[in-house]
Amino acid sequence: MSLGLLVIGLNHSTAPVQVREKITFPGDGEGAVTRMIAEVDGIEETMILSTCNRAEIIAIADDPSSAGEGLIQAIGRIHGISPDPIRPHLYFKEDLEAVRHVFRVASSLDSMVVGEPQILGQVKEGYKRAACVNATGPILNRLMHRAFFTAKRVRSETGVGLAAVSVAYVAVELAKKILGELKDKAVLMLGAGEMAELAARHLSTQVDKPIIVINRTYQSACNLAGLLGGSAIEMEKLDDGLSSADVVITSTGSRDPVILSDQMKRIMRRRRFRPIFLIDIAIPRDVEPEVNEIDGVYLYNIDDLQAVADENAGERHQEALRAETIVAEEVTKFMNWTKALESAPTIVALREKLEGIRSAELSRCNGKLARLDPAEREIIEMITRAIINKIAHDPISFIKQSGTRARRNLSLDMAQRMFKLDGFVSTLEPGEEERTENEPHHRNKR
Amino acid sequence: MDLLFFKIAVVLYLGASVSYLAFLLVSSSNRAPVGFWCAALGFAAHSLSILHRAIFSGFFPLASAFDVVSLFAWFVVGLFLLMRYRDPSPIFGSIAVPLASVLMLFAASFSYQIKQPLLPIMKSWWLPVHVILAVAGNGVFALMAIGGLMYLVQEWLIKTKRIGRFHRLLPSLEILDTINRRGLSLGFFLLSLGIISGALWAGSAWGFYWSWDPKETWSLITWFAYAAMVHQRVALGWRGKRAAMMAIFGFGLVMFTFVGVSALLGGHHAFGTTGKGITGP
Repeated sequence: MSLGLLVIGLNHSTAPVQVREKITFPGDGEGAVTRMIAEVDGIEETMILSTCNRAEIIAIADDPSSAGEGLIQAIGRIHGISPDPIRPHLYFKEDLEAVRHVFRVASSLDSMVVGEPQILGQVKEGYKRAACVNATGPILNRLMHRAFFTAKRVRSETGVGLAAVSVAYVAVELAKKILGELKDKAVLMLGAGEMAELAARHLSTQVDKPIIVINRTYQSACNLAGLLGGSAIEMEKLDDGLSSADVVITSTGSRDPVILSDQMKRIMRRRRFRPIFLIDIAIPRDVEPEVNEIDGVYLYNIDDLQAVADENAGERHQEALRAETIVAEEVTKFMNWTKALESAPTIVALREKLEGIRSAELSRCNGKLARLDPAEREIIEMITRAIINKIAHDPISFIKQSGTRARRNLSLDMAQRMFKLDGFVSTLEPGEEERTENEPHHRNKR
Repeated sequence: MDLLFFKIAVVLYLGASVSYLAFLLVSSSNRAPVGFWCAALGFAAHSLSILHRAIFSGFFPLASAFDVVSLFAWFVVGLFLLMRYRDPSPIFGSIAVPLASVLMLFAASFSYQIKQPLLPIMKSWWLPVHVILAVAGNGVFALMAIGGLMYLVQEWLIKTKRIGRFHRLLPSLEILDTINRRGLSLGFFLLSLGIISGALWAGSAWGFYWSWDPKETWSLITWFAYAAMVHQRVALGWRGKRAAMMAIFGFGLVMFTFVGVSALLGGHHAFGTTGKGITGP
């Protein structure tokens, strides 16, 4: 029996950046776009997940195989493009595969940088937006909560998120291990380069103080400082800068080292031995390697950082394997839950059938009952309802109480054949089966 | 029944040690809840044991080597648990809890029977004041030394660019140096008060404050070592690696004064010797 779950989307491994940057679901801040998707024919529940490496629609559909086409057309409409060029980059996942995919995405196992922590927040945001515009329903609610739970387990039970794997991130983590909290620390940028700017930008999200920029030409230092929201000082004041900074990123084009060992020893006394973290991104190097031997000075060059990142990536891979088993466990749990739901449509169909018989029989006798006054007619209604409820009671409890999956299958099959319930389409609803008919987002087709 | 709580505490500390060491060797996430709860429950049992001994002896239970070493372990675990509030890295427990376990077993190697009748000098209120201050100071120095050891390892890992699992398990150099700074001021304060209270006790009991008993001499040497550390930190701005090495060296002196002097040099602090009749360090 199908769950009706469908994931359709593209990510960093199926689509180049030129395609990814086109599919961003703009204007979904308030969930308006999610609402549009929810309105597509045959879609019961939906949410959008959009990050810089991924664009996905997660949906519950009547008929997942035909709903896919409607969703692709909707993606085209929303972005004002023809959907055909993106078609080859899309992946479609249904039911079991889709559940696994959603859990893996939330746990950051499907990310470009496996274990990066932002994805969970982005999934939560997408879900919240969808919930705000009533685009989610019982299945998606359950699915997403289990996805968050899985992500939490992966985070706390494995080391997938612990090791930094990008150079800039490694630098920030190292700075924290040396200096503690970075909020009140000072960052000095010596020289202007693309890599250095990237690292400085990464650091500036952690640091409250404005970044100090020094460059051979004062004017370009000022320009860069303007871009980074920092301030510039002259090259002559390098020693002052080194005395007050806690993290220094160097990337000058100089052919000889700019920071020398003897100079640094002098500066450390001036700093009263406060530790300092030097990141040398320049090639050839800006800082004499001997500087690393000075007490309280920690020098890393670009190769050192890259080596750490590579080693971490290997370690992360090991942890990711353990995370996959957790995901597999949680997928199984979720699928078991969906199976427990399948008695619901049978029960509904059974009730519908009996109610149909009752009202048909009553209206057949309408003429004979015409002379009864309204109060007496009401009593007849009550009695007949009570009779069918009593008849339905035992088979319904039989269906509900059948323990194992196999026995439940058998009893459902039996009930459907005994009461000739074929032709009904599955209805899925969590929790109380009786509520099915009143829920706004259910999918009943009889 | 005499040592029921003590035995429970020993078992729990040993369990916590195993758990923390397992954490150190194999854990991939930065959490060790089993070790922490074992240590916390062990600490509760240990506290009950001390309380029980106090009721049993009718006085502060500090008149035997057993009780004093046990109190030392109690301070080590107590301070560790207190610190876990501020710094959530459990690796500290991988050293502090086994250390406490060893101290507990060491305590158990002494007789827990209190010699009766107690000498009159032991019934003074100076006894708990002096012993608690001195032992609390030792406890602080112990954690400071553990912090120092961790600092040296972490610093070496960063300097030699061995950025792996151990590096991530260890706290930042900043936190470890803060432990050194706070520990130094608190420990030095307690040690000073411990020595002063001992002198006052001697003064009130025997009429002289200082008698160059070996324990007194070595306490003074220890005091000078820590005074030098305070000076280096405050006046010269020493910190980090040098401060960490000093903390380990200082704790070596503390342990020698605490255990070695009594065992090797005797004097009126010696455990269980006749001397002038005082037991306890």
